[in-house]
Amino acid sequence: MMRLLKTYGTILLVFAGVGVLRLALPGAFLIHVTIFSIYTMAFSFLMGRLGLVSFGQPAYMGIAAYGTGLYLHYFGTNPLLGMMVGIIAGVAFAGVIGGLFVRLSSSYFTLANLALCAIGFFVFQRALVHITRGDTGLWYLGRMERWPLLNFRDPDHFLTFALIVAAGIWIVVKGLDRSVFGAACLAVKANERKLQFLGYNTYRIKWLGFVMANSIAAVAGTLYAVYFGFVSPAIMDVLRAPEVVVVGLLGGVGSLYGPLIGTFVYIAMQDLVSAIFVYWELVVGTMLVLVMMAGERGIASLLESAPRLLRMRARHDRSSAG
Amino acid sequence: MMGTGVDGAMIGGEAILGARGLTKRFGAMCAANSIDYHLGPKEMAGIIGPNGAGKTTVFNLLTGVYAPDQGSVFFDGREITRLSPQQRVKLGIRRTFQLASTFDNLRVIDNLRLAYYHKQRQGRCSLGGMCSADLGEVRDESIDECLEQLELSKAAHLPVASLPLGSKRKLELAMALIGAPRVLLLDEPFAGLSEMEIGQIVAMLRHRCTRRMAVLIIEHKITWLKDLVDRISVLVNGEIIADGDYQTVLDSPVTRKSYWRVE
Repeated sequence: MMRLLKTYGTILLVFAGVGVLRLALPGAFLIHVTIFSIYTMAFSFLMGRLGLVSFGQPAYMGIAAYGTGLYLHYFGTNPLLGMMVGIIAGVAFAGVIGGLFVRLSSSYFTLANLALCAIGFFVFQRALVHITRGDTGLWYLGRMERWPLLNFRDPDHFLTFALIVAAGIWIVVKGLDRSVFGAACLAVKANERKLQFLGYNTYRIKWLGFVMANSIAAVAGTLYAVYFGFVSPAIMDVLRAPEVVVVGLLGGVGSLYGPLIGTFVYIAMQDLVSAIFVYWELVVGTMLVLVMMAGERGIASLLESAPRLLRMRARHDRSSAG
Repeated sequence: MMGTGVDGAMIGGEAILGARGLTKRFGAMCAANSIDYHLGPKEMAGIIGPNGAGKTTVFNLLTGVYAPDQGSVFFDGREITRLSPQQRVKLGIRRTFQLASTFDNLRVIDNLRLAYYHKQRQGRCSLGGMCSADLGEVRDESIDECLEQLELSKAAHLPVASLPLGSKRKLELAMALIGAPRVLLLDEPFAGLSEMEIGQIVAMLRHRCTRRMAVLIIEHKITWLKDLVDRISVLVNGEIIADGDYQTVLDSPVTRKSYWRVE
């Protein structure tokens, strides 16, 4: 019982916290935070566990969003089925691209992803314009089915749904961390050659890690697609590629809370602070630099080590007073 | 020269690891020049040589990091020149690196668990199996035994990054031994260690490897090998210039001339 509480207590805490915040904050803000933190989890998985930095994450999110969008615009009306289609598209895409890209060494991997994102944007904006309707985008909000218990147009319904999805992903990632595969991923990050000399096929490990990470990005993409009831090429705009990198680093990659905290801070800046202070990017940029200078571990680890530092300070004060 | 190359004295019969005419050039420099070398199945041997003599290159050729320009590598009577490092690991060839090579972001015990898991699965590590296997459940006596023998038990749950160099080297050796290799290649295992730590490693090698597997140790200093190995080869400028037991090699005029530069 205690062990269960220890494992899932954090999730309950987050749910309770969101419930309290919901009293004060608009649902749209919290939904945005939830979906974006799923998106950041994907980046954090790649960078924190496999040591792969991708500047092309919007592509993986966008493909899945388009999978959902195309299905709901042209074929069906069931949003859950639409999400399935989107996720399958995203996973298949990541599987193929991953097979090619994880062979690349770090900086080439980063840039190849950026290029991929640019290609994706072009394909959905121009090349497939007769299907995707270019910048006009695909609209299907009215077409989506509504159920009494799950109405995607009700912010509270959607928020609950998105939180459950996020919690599910969180539990899976937490489980992976305890597995041999989780350790092998971290080993790839620390010393890939050494892992090869223990006999492991690091290419396959990196491939699966890449596919897992981008499946998470795909989930974020389909959530956006059903939440807005609309998808346009803007979702995979190359200019937005660094966004998730900033958020990921701000919160701290590798830790499970990092993406959540980073996203909360970032979206709060974007949605709330920007109403008071127009140059909110300046605040985010300064914060990022400060967080990096404080040990490159992100806000999450700063918060984790804060109590310890305070205790040390207190002890130091006592000893110097005595 | 005594006991050189192909027809050299081998403990335990036929060679388990061998090289014939192994040559590797980097530009104008010849790091390995037509090397013939054979290691007996239970033999403990050393290769010494000055910096830049090509010692690590020989290891890289034997383990498949480099493909040789000429010559071939044999393992247990079969040619393995074209096999990848991973395939050679599966045959039972394990090595350590000159710079202590561990997973610094994992705990000491998890480093050993990763090494043991691969051995336990006999190289059949499916991705699905790795995802469903709980790392904490990867347990074996050999892990605890290694930790104890190298006095790492107390550090077992610490991240490797917090360990001093000596402990990292010991850990790397333990990772190699847990794989129960048939041939163990150690690249300067004593570099940068204290007398006490060297003593621990020597004791561990004696206890775990003697008469059980073939061990080949590269060292810069000959003294550490004195009481450990059966045979020493001297490598200078990519060529083996002397080969034999400790005293023979030490007394050999060739060695004295080109290694210690004394007449």
